[in-house]
Order: sequence, then structure tokens, then C-alpha cells
Amino acid sequence: MSDTSTTTLGRAEGRVAGHAAAEQAPARSKGYWSGVGSRLLRDPVAMLCAALLGLLLLAVIFAPYLPLADPFTGSMISRLKPLGTPGHLLGTDELGRDMLARLIYGGRLTLMLGLLPVIFAFVIGTGLGVVAGYVGGWLNTAIMRTVDVFFAFPSILLAIAISGALGAGIVNSLVSLTIVFVPPITRVAESVTASVRSLEYVDAARISGAHPLTVVRVHVLGNVMSPIFVYATSLTSVSMILAAGLSFLGLGVKPPEPEWGLMLNTLRTAIYINPVLAALPGAMIFLTSLCLNLLSDGLRSAMNIKD
Amino acid sequence: MFLKPLRQAVLAVATVALFSTSALAAGTLRIGMTASDIPLTTGQTDQGGEGMRFMGYTVYDSLINWDLSSADKPSTLTPGLATEWSTDPEDRTKWTFKLREGVKFHDGSDFTADAVVWNLDKLLNDKSEQYDTRQAAQGASRIPSIASYKVIDPLTVEIVTKQPDATLPYQIAWIMFSSPANWEAQDKSWEKVAAHPSGTGPWKLESFVPRERAELVPNLDYWDKTRVPKLDKMVLIPLPEPNARSSALLSGQVDWIEAPAPDLVPALEGNGFKIVSNTYPHNWTYHFSRLEGSPWNDINVRKAANLAVDRAGLKQLLGGLMVEAKGFMPPSSQWFGKPEFDVRYDPEAAKEYLAKAGYGPDKPLKVKALISPSGSGQMLPLPMNEFIQQNLAAIGIDVEFEVVEWNTMINIWRAGAADPSAQGAQSINFSYFIQDPFTGLIRHLSCDLIAPNGTNWGHYCDPEMEELFKKIRTTFDPAEQDEVLRKTHEKYVNDALFLFVAHDVAPRAMSPKVKGFVQAQNWFQNFSGITIEE
Amino acid sequence: MLAYMIRRLLYVIPVAFGVSVICFMLVHIAPGDPLTAVMPIDATAEQQAAMRAEYGFDRPLPVQFGIWLGNALQGDLGSSIATGRPVAAEVRRAVGNTLILAFTASLIGFPLGIFFGFVAGTFKDTLIDRAVTALAITGVSVPNYWLGIVLVAVFSVTLGWLPSTGAGPGGSTAWAWDIEHLRFILLPAITLAVVPMGIVTRTVRALVGDILSQDFVSALEAKGLSGTGVLRHVIRNVTPTTLSVVGLQLGYLLGGSILIETVFNWPGTGFLLSNAIFQRDLPLLQGTILVLALFFVFANLLVDLAQPLVDPRIKRG
Repeated sequence: MSDTSTTTLGRAEGRVAGHAAAEQAPARSKGYWSGVGSRLLRDPVAMLCAALLGLLLLAVIFAPYLPLADPFTGSMISRLKPLGTPGHLLGTDELGRDMLARLIYGGRLTLMLGLLPVIFAFVIGTGLGVVAGYVGGWLNTAIMRTVDVFFAFPSILLAIAISGALGAGIVNSLVSLTIVFVPPITRVAESVTASVRSLEYVDAARISGAHPLTVVRVHVLGNVMSPIFVYATSLTSVSMILAAGLSFLGLGVKPPEPEWGLMLNTLRTAIYINPVLAALPGAMIFLTSLCLNLLSDGLRSAMNIKD
Repeated sequence: MFLKPLRQAVLAVATVALFSTSALAAGTLRIGMTASDIPLTTGQTDQGGEGMRFMGYTVYDSLINWDLSSADKPSTLTPGLATEWSTDPEDRTKWTFKLREGVKFHDGSDFTADAVVWNLDKLLNDKSEQYDTRQAAQGASRIPSIASYKVIDPLTVEIVTKQPDATLPYQIAWIMFSSPANWEAQDKSWEKVAAHPSGTGPWKLESFVPRERAELVPNLDYWDKTRVPKLDKMVLIPLPEPNARSSALLSGQVDWIEAPAPDLVPALEGNGFKIVSNTYPHNWTYHFSRLEGSPWNDINVRKAANLAVDRAGLKQLLGGLMVEAKGFMPPSSQWFGKPEFDVRYDPEAAKEYLAKAGYGPDKPLKVKALISPSGSGQMLPLPMNEFIQQNLAAIGIDVEFEVVEWNTMINIWRAGAADPSAQGAQSINFSYFIQDPFTGLIRHLSCDLIAPNGTNWGHYCDPEMEELFKKIRTTFDPAEQDEVLRKTHEKYVNDALFLFVAHDVAPRAMSPKVKGFVQAQNWFQNFSGITIEE
Repeated sequence: MLAYMIRRLLYVIPVAFGVSVICFMLVHIAPGDPLTAVMPIDATAEQQAAMRAEYGFDRPLPVQFGIWLGNALQGDLGSSIATGRPVAAEVRRAVGNTLILAFTASLIGFPLGIFFGFVAGTFKDTLIDRAVTALAITGVSVPNYWLGIVLVAVFSVTLGWLPSTGAGPGGSTAWAWDIEHLRFILLPAITLAVVPMGIVTRTVRALVGDILSQDFVSALEAKGLSGTGVLRHVIRNVTPTTLSVVGLQLGYLLGGSILIETVFNWPGTGFLLSNAIFQRDLPLLQGTILVLALFFVFANLLVDLAQPLVDPRIKRG
């Protein structure tokens, strides 16, 4: 499983990345970020990927304003037309709907299903992790041991189990994917918070009687957010492949909504008739995930985080 | 002196040689099924029509079988384990079944009247030792009319129905008979019987691995010599995924697949594979809600919708693999009759009907329809429904779809149109097994079967129809009963009680090596005449 | 170190308990009646109630959990709703097949990954490195269910070289490690191996590059340490992390082949699971997930226990 395994990597890295970031946390400054920025700008691969992703994102967001055919209506007479058909640049699907429009509209859901669970998990996981790491004691034990239990499931298995039990649907996919990504983010957040908390000046602020919320807001979150953020971005491609995989299995988005995983599934039979057409949705998933990974790699090396 | 034994020996060798060569020529047939598992092997099968086709009518027999020998006419009932059956003219609830003599189960035990009663107890009497919930769940609902049964003599059984019911033979044709002696031998455990079942059918189950394969070998002692299988072996492989099924055929791992995806038919034919299909009692329809307030209560709206559907276009979409509906039953059915309302594609006439009801393109009628993205017998539900949606929109009926999963759909279908789960939808897109009078006509529109008590989803209730149903049940002469069934179907069509859309044609794709298959107009098939040519 | 190992061992108990709670709850977060899918379409309300009682779905939740856990501890995972067969037997058979597939995939993925990683790490920032890195990131990014379909279309259908479905000419029961059967496993194993190969390549490349760039290696080389000497040093330092990544991947291979097995009709746990999902056969879903998750817990345990043995730097309580 591409998805799961990348998560494994993500997880294994997550622990390392967390520590590394925590170590350099106090040294962070504006200079550091501009350094990261300029290093990233000098990385042609990362910049190309960023440009492609940006373009995709723009197309997807402004899809309704683009001169595209209606992704929902098709004509039975013009089914499975090849690429380059007049009026249908990328051909038509099994219901005669315009592939270009469906790929762009499909990107909306696929990207949303890739991003939202990571964002939700980022918020929930950071919250849980910071609380666990900062408060410590029994609360830490309770949170982290629960997280351990969820860690006992390979991520794809957990996603499929929850989606399989809840049934198909966008909301159910979001729920199951969020549950999958909360534990690894919580772990990173907890370990970073714990190391930040033991830093002298944070400790001093705490002992000097500052309000815990203030300490967390000023000292902890400021230091903790960026390593978690970097880690979370590396999860986005995993999340997207996983979401498309759920739809592919019939557990995610329901037809007739366009979504890459689902399109990959419904176009499967066309692979013997019009292979290039049938390969398009899979290729979109692949290219997007490739760009996300390359960009995340670029970001990582620009930030000097070792794999 | 020794001439005779010598002759015998030569004869024996020759026979063996002959037999083995013919056996070699007959070969092994490997079938890719659409089911995701090997159907229940103990007798009463699961996995719907496909289960009965591959594990019911192969390994087992019923008292009354379906005649599967012809592809040209609708299949009818034929004597199976019973040679004749009749009702008492004085008391029409009393049925007598004369059993076939000398029939043996695969384990060698005799098929007798005791075995019949034992098998009915297996399904209907939860106090009996052999009662099996799994088989009962599949079989009991098939024989709702049976009140009691008893042995008259070793070859005669009497069955009493709750009220006079002339459709009993059709109900009985569902019931498969497994060997009581084998059940005893398998420590009275159905779990063990599943691995070593014993029926009377033309095939014996040699081995099976759940979810992977089942191997059937001929029962050379089968009572009907014309149905002794010619093959050496038939292997059943569950391949639920349509693409995997086609790849398996294309790469030569199976010789035959059920239900190839319509899109792949040209590719399969291009590679030299045969596509076999035939009409059979299946229908794909919109079952209308007849609750108060439903627009389908107006016959003009119903007729308008029926005239708006471009069935020829739909057929093209399905690669030709459907029969255009002219009514509820396929046009070739013995019960089709001569309805006056001609179900055809005529958008102008449709608009006129709709105008009579007070709607039109300027004042569209809005309706809500339940559809599912997949499901057994549903053919290609999404493309087909979208196609119909376009057709209906063209005359002024705006259909809003409520897409629900197949299993949810079954629940909504059971619960009926009035249940909140139907979300106020005024029709449900369902496909029906319509092989006998009950499943074909009575169960959909009978007043006492209104959901959730029965399967009359739309709450239709009409005294005239009710009278016809009663007549079906009380007409014991088969020819006269067929006449009543025709009358009933004519009313179905004339009143446009459903949206008649399509009948599936049970397409199968097979390698050119497969010879001798005759596709009957039935859900079940006969595999005995098939051979494999190398 | 012994204390650490004992603590790690004991820690498996609460985790396993938590895992079983989650698996149990799977059936109960599911909307609708778990028996829907298997009841004949015309079943009456009474027949439905009788079936519900037969499966014990009419009892209160904690009672159901107690009974289920008690049975599970004795190796009884209940009966499949769709088939009535014991779940444990189904899962056992499927796990065997998944193990065969995962084992073959790991034979392809791990050695290749380690080899590529070493090459790329050694020749860091050269053309070779770029090529290998590109290969690895492709492996990590490709949706492998899609790759599987493409491989079938090319190698089974178009070229006709390899079979497209199943675990052998006679099904999985007749499995043997011979050419005839290896033909069947080749495509699914390659598809499954692509991702672990990419991940292992990336890990090993980073580790090797890292170690080689450290000053003391240059110092060692300057001191005249031979190539093999440097290699030995690198291997010693790369092994622990690689082992932990490989261990985790092994666990994922076991559980993570769901989509691949569906594409190739490989009769393993993934295939079983996707069938369970489509038939809404929740006890089967539950049992399969439980067994796979426990396998994963066990794989993690082995990795954690082995870690201090191969990594002298780690000294735990």
C-alpha cells in the first residue's frame, strides 16, 4: 500500500523530525524562515511541483468559472471518446461526460478529501498532544495510551475498517481518515511539547506563575507548530491516496459525484477499449501525490530536517 | 470355455478406453461466477438466483423441476423427484405428490417420502432435530402456503395448504432435497454436511474451498439419463469484480464468465469469445408509490412516463444486452397476453398524456426516485437511470434521484413507500425475479401484502386486481391458470402500473471451446449437455 | 535491558485489549441491521427476529462484548453472517495466503530497496542518485491499486504472459513454491512490493548518505581504512533504523494488501475483508481486522525487542 507505507515512513520520521525540530526550536527566528524560503526557491524540482500544485488548486477552486462542459451531463452517443475529440479535449467517460471537466471537478473532492482530514487531525492532534505533553501525569498516560491503541492498526486497515463499518459517503470518509491521522500527529505534538516544556525559559515562565494558557500560547505553541506542520504536510499525499483508495473500493464518494478514485473504478472496464482514457484518473492521483511528496521533500531539506 | 471371459475382458477394456477418451474430450469447464462466495452447499442455497443455478439445480433436485432444455420457449415446470401431483377436487387444499421410484442420493441412500417430510421439517419445523436456520432463512419464505405435510406411503406425500393455492407447484420448485442419511453420517452437523453434501442432482460436489472454488463431478447414476453431465468436471470460481472476471476469461483462467460488463463485450468478441444471452423472467422497473399525493396515481402520468423512455437508446447503451420492455413480463412470456396499451417510445404522445394531467415542459412535474449505484439484477443502474432522467426531462417530468446503497435500498423496499426511510420518494428502481405467478405478479400488488407485511412496496390495492389474484390461486387447471395470468398481466400493462423499462438477457461470455450449451429462458440452467473441445 | 524487554512485553496486553474494544465497536457503529445483507429479500419480520437472536444481536452491548471477548480468547471469532462458517477458520485460511503474498513481496521489495538505497547513498548527488531517488519517490507516490490494473492489462491480457487472478491453477489449497504457482503470484507481489521498496530505498539512502558525510568516516578513510572496513562501519550504523522500517513495513504488507488482493482476486485477508465490507458481513470484518491488528502489534513488538540487540547505542532502563 503506497498510502500505509508512506505513513509508516511518516510516522518513523515523525518521531525523529519532532525531536530534531524541538532541538533547534529555540534558535528559530525570522532569519531562519527567510533562509528556508530562499533555499526552497533555489530548489527547481520543488518549485516546479509547487507551481503545478498551485495551478491545479486554482483550476479546482475556480472550476465553475472556467469554460468547462457540465461534468454531470453526458450523451450516450458520445461515450468513451478518445483524447483530442473536438469539444472534448480529454475525451469522454463511460456516460459520455467530458473528462476534462470531470477531472477538474473530481480534483475538488479528491484534494478536499486529502486535505481536510489532515487539517482536522492537525487541530485535534496538536490539541491532544500539547495538552498531554504539557500537563503530563495521568492525563498524558490516558491520551497517549489511547493513541497507542490506534497505532496498533496499520493506517489503511483502520481507514477501511471504520469506513467499512460506517458505510460509503464523503462524511464517513472524512471521519475515518481523520481518526487515522490524529494518533501520529498527537505523538509528534506530545514529544515536541514535552521537550519544549523542559527548556529552561519555558520552565522559568511556568514557575514564575504565568497563567498556563499564556505559557502554552506564547512559548509552547510558537515552538511546536512548525515541526508538526511540516509533518502534517507529508501526510497529505498519503491522505489523498487513501481517500481515493476508499472511493475506489466503493467506500468513499458516491456516484455521480466526480472523484478520481471513483472515476478510476468506474472507468476500469474501459481499459481494454481506451486504455489511455482509463488511465487518466489514476495518473492524476499519481502526479498529484508525486508533487506533494517532492514538495514535502524540498521543504524538509530546506528546513534542514533529516529523513 | 475361456472365450466368454476373454470377450468380456476385451469388451471391458474397450469400454474403458472409449469412456476415457470421451471423458478426455469432455474435459473441465471453469466458470467465473458473479457471486463473491460459493453458494451454500447444504441444499437450500443462498446467493439468490445464481446460487440456485450453480449449487441448487446442479447438486440437488426439487419435487418439481424447471424444464431447462429449450432456448426458444419460456421454460415451464416439469416432473422432478415427483412424477405427478394433483389436488383433491373435493378439498383443494390437499395435494398428493407421487414420488419417482429408485432415485438415490449421492451417498447411496434412497429418496423416499420420509426424506421429503424430513426436508420440509428442515425448513419449517424449528422443533425438529434437523432444522437449519440458514436453509430455513432461504427456503421457508418460498413456501408460504404450506400448512402441513405427511407420508402416505413410501412413494406418496400429502401436502396441505393454508387455503386453496394453485401456485403451490411453483413454490415447491424452490425446495431442494438433501439426504437425511448423509446428515446422520456427518454427525448431524450441517457444518460438516456443507463440506460433504449429498443430493440427488446430476452433479456431485467433489470439493470446495470457501470463497475460492467448488469442483463438481458428474453423478453417473442420475435418474434422468438425458441429463447425465458429459463433462469430467465443472469448477465454479467466485469472481465478483467484473473487470477481474473479464481478465480471467481473456487470460484463459476460466472458460466461461457470467455477466460480462457490456463495455467489454466488443473486446471479448474481438478476441474470439462467444457471447451467449437469452431473455429470461427478469425485469428492471420503477415501482411506483400509490400513496395519497403521489403523482403516479394519475394514469395519464404513468402512461406519459412509459411513452417517454427511449428503450432502443438504452439498449444501445447496454451494448444490445437487454430486451426492450413492452410490459411487466418479457414479450416472449407465456403470460404476456394482448394488452391494449402499447408501451413504446413516443415523446409526442407522452406530452399529450402529461398535458391531460396538467403538466408539461412549461410546468414540469417534479418527482423523487430512489436508485442504487449497484445491486443484484440492477444491470448498470447509474447510467440507465441517468438516461431515463434525460428522457423524462424531455417531456416535462423532472426526476430528482435519491441515491442509496443497495443494502439500504433492500431495507427501504421491505419497509414500503410510506416508511420514513423512503424519504418521500415516489418510486423505487428495483429489479425483479418474475419466474412464477407469485414472484412475477401477485406479490407486487396484492392488498394483503402491503409493505412492511409483504412486498407490495407502493401500497397499491385494487379490488379488480385482487379478484384476478384470487382467481390465479384457485384455478387448478394449468392452461386455464395461464389464461388468468395473461388477463392479470394485461391489466398491469393497460393501467401502466409500473415504469416498464428493460429485461436483462443474462449475458455470458465463453471460450469457443465450450460446446453444447443451451441457454434456457430461466434463471437456472442445465450444464449437462456441455462439452469442452480441445 | 531485561526490564525494558519485560515491560515492553507486558505492554502488549492493554494494547491488545484496546484493539479488541475497537474491533468490537466496529459492528456497533455500523448503521442499520447487521443482518440485512444476508436475509432473503422476502424474509418476514419473525424470520428476521429469529435470525437476530441466533446471532446474539438482541442482547445488551457490554454482555455482547463479554461473550465476544471470551470466545475470541478461545479462538472463536463467531460465525460469518453471509456464510455461517466460523470466522476463525476463514481468517486462518486467508492469513496463510496473505502471508505467502507478503513474504514474496518482501523478498522483492526489501532487498531491492536496500540495494538501491545503498547505491544512491554512496553516490549521493550524482546522476545515479537522482535516478534512484526518482524511482523511489515514484514507488511511494503511485496508487498501487491502479498500478495493479495496468499490470494486468499489459502482462495478462495484452501479452498473455502471466495469469491475472487467483492463487494458482487449483486454488490456494494446492499452493506450492513451483514455477506454475509463482507465475500467479508474480504480478500481485510486484504491485505490493513497489511501495515498501520506495520507502526502504529512501530510508537507506538517507542513512547511508548521512553516515558517509560525517567527518569521522573521512577521517577513517584518511587513516587508510579499506573500502570493506568503511562498508562494515556503514552497515553497522544503518542496520537498526532499517530494521525498524522493514519491520513496520512487514506489518503493513500483511494488512495493507486489501486493494491489491481485490484487483488480483488473491484469496487473502484483503480479499476477505473487501468481501466482508460489500456483504456487510460485520462479524467477518471484525474478526479479520482483529487478527490483522494483532499481527501488527506482534510485528511492532518484535521490532522493539530486537532494536536494543542490534543498536548498542540504545540503552534503556
